[in-house]
Amino acid sequence: MDTWRLVTTWNAQPAFNLGLDEALLESSGAPVTVRFYSWKPGAISLGYFQRLADVPAALDARAVVRRFTGGGAIHHQRELTFSIAAELEHPLYRGPIAESYARVHAAVARALATFGVTAELRGERTLASEREGTGMCFHKSSPLDLVWNERKGVGSAQRRSRGRVLHHGSIKLGTTPLEGDIATLEHVARGLEPESFAPALREAFEAQFGVRLAADVPDALERGRAKELALRFASEEFLRRR
Amino acid sequence: MRPNDRKYAQSHEWVKIDGDVAIIGITDFAVQELSNGNESDLVYCDLPDAGRVLAAGETFGEIESVKAVSDLYAPIAGEVLEINAAIEDHLEILSKDPWGAGWIIKIKPDSKKLDGLMDAAEYEKFVASKKH
Repeated sequence: MDTWRLVTTWNAQPAFNLGLDEALLESSGAPVTVRFYSWKPGAISLGYFQRLADVPAALDARAVVRRFTGGGAIHHQRELTFSIAAELEHPLYRGPIAESYARVHAAVARALATFGVTAELRGERTLASEREGTGMCFHKSSPLDLVWNERKGVGSAQRRSRGRVLHHGSIKLGTTPLEGDIATLEHVARGLEPESFAPALREAFEAQFGVRLAADVPDALERGRAKELALRFASEEFLRRR
Repeated sequence: MRPNDRKYAQSHEWVKIDGDVAIIGITDFAVQELSNGNESDLVYCDLPDAGRVLAAGETFGEIESVKAVSDLYAPIAGEVLEINAAIEDHLEILSKDPWGAGWIIKIKPDSKKLDGLMDAAEYEKFVASKKH
């Protein structure tokens, strides 16, 4: 049975969160690395290509960063954020992007099922969580998104670079004012904290992927690189690049 | 069969020499992997400025499909002469015609030798090995 690393960083700063994820994406030769994390402050992150002006909620927000993954903006509150970094040729990511999403989402759906939530890929249905003009990830969807209660409940994106892939996912445990009427776990587990959802997600990943997740920390090189990259994610120049 | 008048990189870019210019694009396989067969799934791209000097293997741009941002790599070294501005707002051109109208950049190559890249038959085998 393969062992993957599990790096857990609760209540971490926004720029650090993105810096560490990109450092793990760059970390060629490292074992598959899963991260579970949360944000303090609960920042808004823009998609890599989004224009700041296209996300009205970000214009007067206190904490805003730009991700290196694409898609729409996310308000990182009341959620468990996860990432998985691995080689492009790893069975998790090999082949069409859509299939890699299906593999990751099967594991996330398995964790949600332990809370009595039946999450499915959106497919061709229309969601009640769709909104125009907000630029928010949860207000727009694709057939690959995980949904329940006819609303989007998991935001996700990938970055593919130098033969490696990082998959980002935001699992909404409760609603935020900026995201409103989306799918969460509030109706089955009121006030659920990311730390309390993490064990179910860990077990689901282990069962779905047939691996063991071993709690670990990034190595010295990864930590150093994460600090360097965090400076870019904290910079106004990077935030305002579009 | 893919065009025989150009060479292919493992990262799924193609390069075609046309006089003193090298034209670079991405293959139908790359487009299919990015867009899952749905041309509207390609949403953004960032391309380099003319005048930028690229090393072989260097990232020259980025492309976003609905679910992933991916790098574009220069298959050979050279200086960027021109970008295909038409595709920036119409990425569906990459799906419709990856070998012609869907070219991405033109460069002045350091060398017209395309050593280390694959011909169409080799690329065909390479792609077949990527499928399940």
